[in-house]
Amino acid sequence: MAGPGGRALLALCGTLAACGWLLGAQAQEPGTSAAGMRRRRRLLQEDGISFEYHRYPELREALVSVWLQCTAISRIYTVGRSFEGRELLVIELSDNPGVHEPGEPEFKYIGNMHGNEAVGRELLIFLAQYLCNEYQKGNETIVNLIHNTRIHIMPSLNPDGFEKAASQPGDLKDWFVGRSNAQGIDLNRNFPDLDRIVYVNEKEGGPNNHLLKNLKKIVDQNTKLAPETKAVIHWIMDIPFVLSANLHGGDLVANYPYDETRSGSAHEYSSCPDDAIFRSLARAYSSFNPAMSDPNRPPCRKSDDDSSFVDGTTNGGAWYSVPGGMQDFNYLSSNCFEITVELSCEKFPPEETLKSYWEDNKNALISYLEQIHRGVKGFIRDLRGNPIANATISVEGIDHDVTSAKDGDYWRLLAPGNYKLTASAPGYLAITKKVAVPYSPAVGVDFELESFSERKEEEKEELMEWWKMMSETLNF
Amino acid sequence: MGLLWTGIWIVGLVLYNSPVQAFPKPGGSQDKSIHNRELSAERPLNEQIAEAEKIKNVYPAENNSGENNYSFADNLNLLKAITEKHKIEKEKQSIRSSPYDNKLNVEDADSTKNQRLIDDYDSTKSGLDHKFQDDPDGLHQLDGTPLTAEDIVQKIATRIYEENDRGVFDKIVSKLLNLGLITENQAHTLEDEVAEVVQKLISKKANNYEEEPSKPKSRTESKAGKMSEKATPLATMQDGFTNGENDETVSSALTLTNVLERRTKTYSEDNFEELQYFPNFYALLKSIDSEKEAKEKETLITIMKTLIDFVKMMVKYGTVSPEEGVSYLENVDEMIALQTRNKLEKNATDNKSKLLPAPSEKSHEETDSTKEEAAKMKEEYGNLKDSTKDDNSNPGGKMKEPKGKTEAYLEAIRKNIEWLKKHDKKGSEEDYDLSKMRDFITQQTDAYVEKGILDKEEADAIKRIYSSL
Repeated sequence: MAGPGGRALLALCGTLAACGWLLGAQAQEPGTSAAGMRRRRRLLQEDGISFEYHRYPELREALVSVWLQCTAISRIYTVGRSFEGRELLVIELSDNPGVHEPGEPEFKYIGNMHGNEAVGRELLIFLAQYLCNEYQKGNETIVNLIHNTRIHIMPSLNPDGFEKAASQPGDLKDWFVGRSNAQGIDLNRNFPDLDRIVYVNEKEGGPNNHLLKNLKKIVDQNTKLAPETKAVIHWIMDIPFVLSANLHGGDLVANYPYDETRSGSAHEYSSCPDDAIFRSLARAYSSFNPAMSDPNRPPCRKSDDDSSFVDGTTNGGAWYSVPGGMQDFNYLSSNCFEITVELSCEKFPPEETLKSYWEDNKNALISYLEQIHRGVKGFIRDLRGNPIANATISVEGIDHDVTSAKDGDYWRLLAPGNYKLTASAPGYLAITKKVAVPYSPAVGVDFELESFSERKEEEKEELMEWWKMMSETLNF
Repeated sequence: MGLLWTGIWIVGLVLYNSPVQAFPKPGGSQDKSIHNRELSAERPLNEQIAEAEKIKNVYPAENNSGENNYSFADNLNLLKAITEKHKIEKEKQSIRSSPYDNKLNVEDADSTKNQRLIDDYDSTKSGLDHKFQDDPDGLHQLDGTPLTAEDIVQKIATRIYEENDRGVFDKIVSKLLNLGLITENQAHTLEDEVAEVVQKLISKKANNYEEEPSKPKSRTESKAGKMSEKATPLATMQDGFTNGENDETVSSALTLTNVLERRTKTYSEDNFEELQYFPNFYALLKSIDSEKEAKEKETLITIMKTLIDFVKMMVKYGTVSPEEGVSYLENVDEMIALQTRNKLEKNATDNKSKLLPAPSEKSHEETDSTKEEAAKMKEEYGNLKDSTKDDNSNPGGKMKEPKGKTEAYLEAIRKNIEWLKKHDKKGSEEDYDLSKMRDFITQQTDAYVEKGILDKEEADAIKRIYSSL
């Protein structure tokens, strides 16, 4: 339907543009008409960051600009397409873009999963530009971050929803319009509900990590999953993410797992095994956001129940139960720890406020990024020095294991304390090591695992040695 | 779409194959006697029209606000219902219309309720049973009165008018003829009537806007008289149409009309009523008064009007919502304002930008990019269904952005080159670096184009910028 009319309109717009140039640039030198426009942009701009809402084309343009400015440390890619065909764009910032360097942890920020929660989307665009600018200025913190982390930024997981939300006229945007994807699916309820499985396993015994075996097949065959959800699941499975945050709007708090209550009630503190480190991670964000961590902040709406909020953080279940969310899915299907950050009381605030949201969140976003360099990290190798992928690293006292990536590298986020770490893999003998973990930086602990066959060989050799010694002594 | 056309000719079908019995009185409080017409399968159209004419003078009284809210949603349902109805009735081999007496819930915006259609068409039920049912089939007017021949003709005419497609009518008539339901003569008569009504609709619209760009219509107004007396009340009804609430995209053209009407500013001296959207453009036009630029003025006006038409068409087809259409027009106008202002600024200050050291190359870039931007803009619109921005955002909207985009890219590339020069002091020469960069950029941009991250034009622009350094 859009075909003939749409194309005609496009043609017309082209003509009109040409006409406009005609009118406005008759004796004008090319480039000078940009002067007025540049002046306008500069008012809204700071160092390449324009504090205005970016629709899909502008989003793309902004990311491309960052890439063009920082080609050495950035790369744009897409994890898939939204229902309406918009690319789910990601910009990656790292000293070796496109490559997982062994031992370098992977981080992701995802914004705008609810299309009408717009602040996250914009903040991530600003962040990308900011990281690029600061890197080029030689900001040490940023340079170190980019050299030692692989940062993936997806400004919008629901570009279709955003377009719908942004198309509403006027400043007052509806609380729901544009929230779900183009199919009407709420993406943050669309992930496989692994919490349920974990709760059963807790009672009857069973794992609580990496719960989705044969994942790709299950995901692809599941017709209830939105294309955006599927794309993210594949993304999570393909890249060994360690830390992540999921940006939302509608309140002002940093929320951590579990999101779904154990008993199924509406509010119940539902701690996960890593409650300690999650509280620390959430606080690492909120404490740098003055509004979020303000203890005297009134609730966003008079009727809101903020009783679960502590220092600007909250357990998901204690706030309200969310099944099928992306945050818990990360924790239970992969090694990635994810929190959900609610950035603004208003889901789609007026454009003029974007600059102040940036100021409020700039430091928090960087601080949270730095959290990835905490706990314990290292390599699992065999005795010959070959990496052992998919080895299990368990921590005594915490019922949640992580696994090593393809290069045998692992990262285990831990709150400060003394721990016993055990590395194991099928066919290998497990090794346990004691580790004292500070707040930061991460402690390096490598494991060399001996396989059963090697041990058998060793034992055989030992036996031969003993026999030789015996025979010599006894003069066989 | 097919359903629509099927529906429409079924309307005609109903028209000519109506039941013998009178319609039961609806449960409303209004005077319904005039609507208790008998639509008979046997009675030819002429007769029915004649009868209708007799009571036509009561029409204005009926055209109260209740009818005015007759929504297109109902129209659609009418057609849907009629399709179903036709199927049912065909089986029964006796075609009669159903008791239509239900009062329509005027406020019922959810007109997609299609339940109880079977009930409706169950001839064993008396009309009173349906007194308080919702009206799912839309085969009445708002006050619950059943449709008349005129109504149906009106509906056909309106449909033709909205669709701007004479073929609608042709299909209806040919099907009716094929089924032997009407004679050639009756077909001609119907055609005349519909043409009349369409003509009235158009002239009514024209009166609303003082001047209407010509719309393709089914017939030129060569037929006189027979329907002329009916035309006024029908036109009034059409007017009521216009002011009513519509929430279907099919009716969005009317909504746009509403919105347009609501924002009416009068430029009474100028007969371009639609140019109210373009106050800046209008001012510009006024400033072009000289004789030699009359042609330019002419062109601009034509372009603007065509633009308005296209926006209306887009709205009609549901490509954009009416609000988007209007805000797009407003954005265009602001862009024009911006352009005008820039022109003035340029003339006043005579500022030249010095972005790149090679001005000749740069201007070459800019000139190229101007055309590119028009093309880029086309691309952008092609990629998005919703091509308009929020009111509060960037005034000047999309038009400004293509220029700004290239500028942003230039800026970014400049910064990149600067940084690379500073940090790549391993003894390699500038030229070497750049050629390596160029290759890398070429490779990357191509990869990005493949993945849908970059447009072809953008990639070419970037490559060109790098090659010019």
